[in-house]
Amino acid sequence: MMEVAKPEQFDLDHLAEELGKLPNAPLAMPVQDLEYRPQRGGLWAALRLTRVRKAGH
Amino acid sequence: MAAPAALDRRVLLTRTLTLTAAILAAGLGFVVFLQFGASDGFDAFDVLRALLIFASTFWLAWGAFTALAGLTTRPPAVPRDAGPLQGMTAILVPVYNEDPVATFARIAAMDASLRATGQRDRFHFAILSDTRNEEVAASERIWFLRLLADTHGEGRIFYRRRTNNKGRKAGNIEDFIKRSGAAYTFAIILDADSLMEGDTMVEMVRRMQAAPDLGLLQTLPTVIRARSRFGRIMQFAGAFYSPIFARGLAMMQGRTGPFWGHNAIVRVQAFAQSCGLPELAGRPPFGGHILSHDYVEAALLARAGWTVRVDDDLSGSYEEAPENIIDHAKRDRRWCQGNLQHSRLLMAPGLKAWSRFVFLQGILAYIAPVFWLAFLAASIAAPLFSPPIDYFPIEYWPFPVIPVSQVSKALLLAVGVGGLLFLPKLLILLDAALRGRTRGFGGAIRTLQSTLTELLFSSITAPVFLMFQTRSVLQVLRGADGGWPAQTRGDGTLSFRDAWAASHWIVTTGGIVLAFAQWLSPQLVPWLLPVALPMVLAPVLISWSSRPSRTTLFTTPAERQAPPVMALHDRVLTRWGADLDQRDAA
Repeated sequence: MMEVAKPEQFDLDHLAEELGKLPNAPLAMPVQDLEYRPQRGGLWAALRLTRVRKAGH
Repeated sequence: MAAPAALDRRVLLTRTLTLTAAILAAGLGFVVFLQFGASDGFDAFDVLRALLIFASTFWLAWGAFTALAGLTTRPPAVPRDAGPLQGMTAILVPVYNEDPVATFARIAAMDASLRATGQRDRFHFAILSDTRNEEVAASERIWFLRLLADTHGEGRIFYRRRTNNKGRKAGNIEDFIKRSGAAYTFAIILDADSLMEGDTMVEMVRRMQAAPDLGLLQTLPTVIRARSRFGRIMQFAGAFYSPIFARGLAMMQGRTGPFWGHNAIVRVQAFAQSCGLPELAGRPPFGGHILSHDYVEAALLARAGWTVRVDDDLSGSYEEAPENIIDHAKRDRRWCQGNLQHSRLLMAPGLKAWSRFVFLQGILAYIAPVFWLAFLAASIAAPLFSPPIDYFPIEYWPFPVIPVSQVSKALLLAVGVGGLLFLPKLLILLDAALRGRTRGFGGAIRTLQSTLTELLFSSITAPVFLMFQTRSVLQVLRGADGGWPAQTRGDGTLSFRDAWAASHWIVTTGGIVLAFAQWLSPQLVPWLLPVALPMVLAPVLISWSSRPSRTTLFTTPAERQAPPVMALHDRVLTRWGADLDQRDAA
């Protein structure tokens, strides 16, 4: 019974896949930027200065 | 047709008036409560409670004034192109473990409805399956073949199943656009339970053709096929009140309109260019895939300069809805997580100010019930912190000074809040009676009875929803991910045992609230009963309202006369059901 049913089921799946195939017409969908990144100006820049190693004389 | 500049001015005026009125109403609530709270001495609890009243009242007032905007405006005439349909339109039907018979029968019905318009050749259907259950997937393939045979749909109706569910529903649509988007000018996005008249779909395409800057056009879906008491009350409320609220919303949103995720049409190029969603950094519930993708896609289209519009005059757009309070709460849990996740996007670069405000509104919709609950808790606890009344505040004055009762202030506040809740619905009733819209709902008297009963039911069940929403918010804040459960559709009758299992914690909370109030502020108990009593009776309400409705109240136009596409759907279901019975008998 199973041996008979399996190919039938396979045929149906295969047929559904073949007949259901979507049109092949790709279209790009670029990922959008949504993340908020705070501007690191002013105070941050001043703090960065303190981390710069002194050149020395 | 209103010129764009004139329309923009109207939108700006409606926004300004609505916002100002809501802030004034909230400010009034704040001041009245401060006066009431200060009657027995002024402390930090009074300020906290007044602030909570401000936030909660603002949200209620916003809803009420949106309805007023809807009642006082008419839809502006929109351009439509009467010429031939250009390009092809894909009708996308994403499915996820849904019943294939009901879903594919809807597609057969819509296909027949499109055939009647004479424009069927301009439309393709694409069933986009994300189904994980192999048994359901096998059934989908069988019924797809049946659908093709029934509609002669080969080459017009497609079916594909994804091997992984990346991005959930938004990822499902994105996958389609990346594979096949270039073949289509427009895409109508549906849900598995959506149903749409062929005429409506053709009209949507015509409106898109006539407005080249229109990126997305949203329809207002009407709920159909409700059978339970809860389902039919919600169905009535949706059909009777929603058009007015949607009208107000449309007037307020203008070109930065909403997307509700389905029963809408998009311009494929615009959607592809603007709506590729990133995965947010971090883990769910705030990171990961964007759950409520529709709001974000509307904001992204607006950011890219496209118009997003809701046309509330478009009829023939339908959906189904949960049949009981528990299924409604489950769906609400997903929406809650999605809306709270938008807090990550409030500062997203380049968004229109109104889009940010829409995100904020969505968050407020779920936070506001928490404010109400916090207000109640603070009110019960307040006596613990208030100083004893000083009857002799003036030195050497021999007579006691009895504090002036401020009960009138509390009553004023209660009447104000009640007014914001009930008045818009009563005004919608009056408007419907004057315009003859009540005919579709069984006449003026029947509509009055339905409206009053709906007001009573929504008031009684509000504390139960308040508890479910509060729990959802707390779960999300705690970091619990609600996942992506398939929606339960069909008969949703719940036994008392099922209802108890889902709501016993609400009963316990209601009991504790009453006990604490009786202990700390007995004078508060009568004020709390409208909230605490429904909580104690939650399982009864949930079970009772899930049973089949037999009343003649809550009649809707679609119940009185099935729309053509719904009749077609019934016919297909009957035919397919008979085949199933025959197969079972064999």
